Amino acid sequence: MRTDVWLVIGGMALVTYLTRAPLLLVLARRPLPPRVALWLRLIPLAVLPALALPLILVERGRLVASLGHPPLWGAVVVVALAARRVNLFVTVAAAVATVALLRALG
Amino acid sequence: MTPRVAPGEDPRDTGVSVDPSGAGGGGSRALTGVGEGVVATLALVPSVFVYGTVFGGLAVQAGLRSVEVWGMSLLVFAGAAQFVAVPMLAAGASPLAIIVTTYVVNMRHYLMAATLAPSFHHFPRGWLALVAHLLNDESFAVAVARRTPPDPWVYIGSAVAVSGSFLAGVLVGTRLGGLVADPARWGLDFAFPAVFLALVVVQLRHRVDWLIALASAVLSTGVALALAGNWHIVIAGVIVSGFAALILTPEPA
Repeated sequence: MRTDVWLVIGGMALVTYLTRAPLLLVLARRPLPPRVALWLRLIPLAVLPALALPLILVERGRLVASLGHPPLWGAVVVVALAARRVNLFVTVAAAVATVALLRALG
Repeated sequence: MTPRVAPGEDPRDTGVSVDPSGAGGGGSRALTGVGEGVVATLALVPSVFVYGTVFGGLAVQAGLRSVEVWGMSLLVFAGAAQFVAVPMLAAGASPLAIIVTTYVVNMRHYLMAATLAPSFHHFPRGWLALVAHLLNDESFAVAVARRTPPDPWVYIGSAVAVSGSFLAGVLVGTRLGGLVADPARWGLDFAFPAVFLALVVVQLRHRVDWLIALASAVLSTGVALALAGNWHIVIAGVIVSGFAALILTPEPA
């Protein structure tokens, strides 16, 4: 039992829970003003691209937007298939395969 | 009826509010939702599992004991933060630095929790406390993209699939080392942005949706170039959605 390691893990667990639980517990209990409700409805549209695009375009703090960057072509596959409402599993599998293939060729 | 959401623009959006009896279990809507959440998350299960094995393998190599790695994965359950923390632990960084870094990397959870909260208004507090712990990017993405407002059971199903495959991966990884030495070689790292991107695309119905998504894409990429440490998600998420909510009219017809 290494107390110091467990203290760090406990601290990490605590602060992480503090990012997850408070708003879920508080906002689940009260009706929201319409503008706040509108804001919450728009958050996914802002958060999803913020999760996705930097993972595709930024590598080690650098912008990588060259045509030789496999994730760029993976993203093209995703957009093309998702816009046609192709099943998510198929879309992701095709994109992963595209990126793997281009990396193998590159 | 609380004014918690603007009326959906899509006819499919009606009738997905939580049934009060559903939270206690037994509702077929609960079962259907959980199943839907699990199925919708299958595209991610292989990558989440493989990254679990990578984390487990790396953490053991870095000098953590298996039981510490399992403890961290169960108690913290935040992949990105754990990947950041393990090398810091191994390098003997101060506990405070590790904990503060973890907090910053996870601040995006505030946005996701706020967004999901109204869907859980009939759930008992004990459930909410547990559901909160399973909050993760992938399940948030799946839940908000499937229904407006997000269905709590779809979210729970997805969270179970994600946490189950991550923890199974960690367990295997601490025993056998990472199963795939370099997941990026197989494109498995791309499964994460692929899912997030696909789930944005299916939500783009109106011009304003496109504008919000594009603005966030540009701003988050810019911030990610300027600032290390996951700040871009919180900053772009708050600024773009907040600005749009200020200038748009609530409850668009």
